[in-house]
Amino acid sequence: MAQAPQKKPRHIPRPPLASKPFWDATKQGKLVLQYDPEAKRYQFWPRAISVASGKQNLEWREASGKGKLYSYTVTHVPVAGFEDKVPYVIGLVELDEGVRIMGNMPNVKPDQVKIGMPVKVGFEKLNDDITYFYFDPA
Amino acid sequence: MAKKNFLEKKDVCIVAYGETKIDRATGKTAYELGAEVAAQLFEKTKLKPKDIDGLGIIHPLSEAPNTFMSTYVAEYLGLTPRWCQTTDIGGGSCTGNVARAAMALQAGMCETVMLVNADAPSTINRSDYGSYRSEFWHPVGVQGPPGAFGFLMNRYAQQYELDYRGLGALAVAQRKGAVKNPNAYAKFRQEITVDDYLNSRLVSTPLRLLDSVMFADGGNGMIMMTTERAKSLGFKKLVHPIAYSEITNFNGPEQTPDITETGFSVSGPDALALAGMKPGDIQQFHPYDDFLIAVMLKLEQIGFCKRGEGSQYLRDTDLSPTGKLPINTGGGQIGAGQPGLAGGGVNLIEAVRQLMGEAEGRQVANPKNAMVTGIGVIPYGRNWTTSATMILSA
Repeated sequence: MAQAPQKKPRHIPRPPLASKPFWDATKQGKLVLQYDPEAKRYQFWPRAISVASGKQNLEWREASGKGKLYSYTVTHVPVAGFEDKVPYVIGLVELDEGVRIMGNMPNVKPDQVKIGMPVKVGFEKLNDDITYFYFDPA
Repeated sequence: MAKKNFLEKKDVCIVAYGETKIDRATGKTAYELGAEVAAQLFEKTKLKPKDIDGLGIIHPLSEAPNTFMSTYVAEYLGLTPRWCQTTDIGGGSCTGNVARAAMALQAGMCETVMLVNADAPSTINRSDYGSYRSEFWHPVGVQGPPGAFGFLMNRYAQQYELDYRGLGALAVAQRKGAVKNPNAYAKFRQEITVDDYLNSRLVSTPLRLLDSVMFADGGNGMIMMTTERAKSLGFKKLVHPIAYSEITNFNGPEQTPDITETGFSVSGPDALALAGMKPGDIQQFHPYDDFLIAVMLKLEQIGFCKRGEGSQYLRDTDLSPTGKLPINTGGGQIGAGQPGLAGGGVNLIEAVRQLMGEAEGRQVANPKNAMVTGIGVIPYGRNWTTSATMILSA
């Protein structure tokens, strides 16, 4: 029988102040995004400035957590913390709000994944500070 | 769109190049590898350290924590530069520094430039990019650059036809170059077949091991000066940069861009227009090759073939030194190994070597011009950050 691969600890985010509301929200099972009310556009990942208007005018808004799969890759050479999951699916998701976000798709098998498939966000607690997002088929 | 071609007059030139062997886990530092390059350049040109008054370098992964890198290299090599610069546009830095050095020479900041690119990431990689990586990249489980290129390849295959045999043909052609390149990583100096490529291990689908570069240690560099000075010093083989265009963070503010569209759709046609050339005028192509698909996208977006026809073009075109479009004749980085952020120099130096007529065993006949590209940095959920295109002339 094959030896189980040795597992290293999964990387835990070290969030800057600008994305604190994002990680506060995930702890409550919510996905929030930065919104520029002047440009009427969302952006991802969180920053201390709007890349559309160049202003520090960003609001946090709760997102639907729904979207479609823009692209994907099935990882065969794992990164730290995923040694026992291979092969595993990573999605590049286009959310209904008009931003793209990368997420693990732990409940999708490699032969089930398809570009364009509808997806929805899910959450898993990594520790007391960080609850991380992933995507499931919708 | 750049309106003015600052390289049009051929008033600056490369008079010598240097390059170490590419090897794995040498135990050497970037300083030691850079010293090997510098010694080659001093030997070839008969210049002394006191003659160098301009220095341009890349920021090595192996020395990443040092934010004073170019000054440390100056001190290590005994140089007294009046223009001293580290460029950090990733794999675009080596070619980018040729353009930056040209401007420094034209501006009169210096008259003899040494460009030194050396890195040893297969001995030690001390990089930490910060920014979003800790929050939104590493915890997801995505396999670094192979993961990003997996997204790119799958999306391309959704929008266009992707014939993996075309990518395989490129892998085969570049390996043939590595076999003939004495500086290529020794274990790569054997030919492969398209089947070897198609059957190589999956890393992050659909990307395979033989789609990819491998980190190694090594260095390369060159001496540049004004053409007037080169002639007065008696240098005979001069290579001129004649057009250059770069773009960083292409489509930056867009949140849902087409990820198969790259900055080369800007910098490629731009460089050609500046030079007054068409793709068919380019005699040889030395594209930055971190992954095979990047070369294919450049062929399409610079204009060597139509959009969506890149893999068929690679499959049906003779890419050898005697072919229709010789590509990465020394193996490129995928064939010869990627000496970290000195990697862009592998493509660049091969172009210079070809234009000086010194590519023994793989020389393109009657070399007149070459196109070189640089790719820098993997951004979040896109293709790459910097796209640089240079045209060189003998």
